[in-house]
Amino acid sequence: MCESNVYLNRAGREELLMERVDRIIPAEDGSIFLESVFGERRVVKARIVEMELVRHRIVLEETPEAMVAERIQEIWLEPATDHGHFHEGEEVILRVFKGYNMKPGDGFSRDGLEAFAVAEGVKRAVPVQERQGSLEINLGQEADGLLQVYVRQQGEHELYGKVVLEIGHHHHHGLQPLGLPLEIVPAGYSHARLGENYEFQVLAAGEPVAGLEVKATYAGTHHRDYPHRLRTDDNGRARIFLTARGNYLFSVTHKNITSTFTLVKSY
Amino acid sequence: MCKDMSPVEAAIQFHGHICPGLLMGVRVAEFALNKLGVGPDVNEELVAVVETDSCGVDAIQAILGCTFGKGNLIFKDYGKNVYTIASRENGQAIRIAQKFRSSHTPESQRYRELVRKGSLTEAEAAEKEELIGLLFEQLMSTPFEELFDWKEIDFEFPPKARMHATVQCVLCGEGVTDIKATETAQGPVCPGCLAENGGR
Repeated sequence: MCESNVYLNRAGREELLMERVDRIIPAEDGSIFLESVFGERRVVKARIVEMELVRHRIVLEETPEAMVAERIQEIWLEPATDHGHFHEGEEVILRVFKGYNMKPGDGFSRDGLEAFAVAEGVKRAVPVQERQGSLEINLGQEADGLLQVYVRQQGEHELYGKVVLEIGHHHHHGLQPLGLPLEIVPAGYSHARLGENYEFQVLAAGEPVAGLEVKATYAGTHHRDYPHRLRTDDNGRARIFLTARGNYLFSVTHKNITSTFTLVKSY
Repeated sequence: MCKDMSPVEAAIQFHGHICPGLLMGVRVAEFALNKLGVGPDVNEELVAVVETDSCGVDAIQAILGCTFGKGNLIFKDYGKNVYTIASRENGQAIRIAQKFRSSHTPESQRYRELVRKGSLTEAEAAEKEELIGLLFEQLMSTPFEELFDWKEIDFEFPPKARMHATVQCVLCGEGVTDIKATETAQGPVCPGCLAENGGR
């Protein structure tokens, strides 16, 4: 192993900033670019204060200027309903967001953005429209059943966002992966409830990815960064005990792809 | 909303937020249903006697269906986290008492500090949110007997709630339940008007 964990010394307290970093590039403006073996990238206003190469440990110290975290942007989907599912005959609308940690950023460009709906193994392209300054997908009326919808934005770093939509009241057992290059798949049940464990699997081109960091957050978090960081086991699985209200968002980055899955609580 | 909420979701919906006290009430309510072998109350099949007016009582109302309005939630102002839950259907009753300091952990202490502080910085709000998550998992996964003592007890069931006639207060003109009105020479007076007039 030749990568290191990078820690940030903030007011005398060391915080793990990024795991398994294999590229560090200091810039002239006093910032440092970090890239991990998982493809995660960050830019921080900091200086290197210690490098313990035997222990694979690098310590940075925050410079007086505010920390700049140019994190990889993510795209994600949220159904426009207050109780997590739709009924037959209702307009099925989803909102598309781009940002980080479930916090939308500014100026979401539709360039290279595509959306698809998959029902019973049949995939169809669906339009993404701009509406009152935000992006949305209006599927119109959908038949009773389960629908998986995903968005993809191609570029130097490819982005995916996926959600499972329920039309009517359905159990989500046995959901099939869509075969995305990087995909989070619910292990047994695609929506879960507060106070329960929720398990999922991360697949890259259909194969489980072991040892990958999965970030998890929830609507309305006060945390600037993801409040939960999980790690997939040998079968690419990870789980979390759900302690927050509202929808959860899971995000993984692997080889220049960032993929999210929105866990929708349904009532 | 067209699906049943989980008990904990129902309690949070009713109470408005997640807090350790509410979660302790969730544990009590779920234990009582299981131990008494009953479902949530519909029409006064259950009676709850609560010796506190803290957050946990809202979980009792939301999950057990014993509510102030139905008259099957009886409040004793003792300041103790003690709950007696009884079933009219099978005549059984259990008394559940929170063990002294059973939920005291460094995390819960810090959480209380932040709650007392009131106005929080962004970092403190994030810390409080994290503590809630930790306490949530702790309180929901700790064996019940580590948190509470419980025993079956003999229980004298109170009569079911009764409908009373409404009479008009002669001073304010508002309606008042007859058993709460005081009969005076002028006619019935409601407790509010009675207090304003020095109890006369």
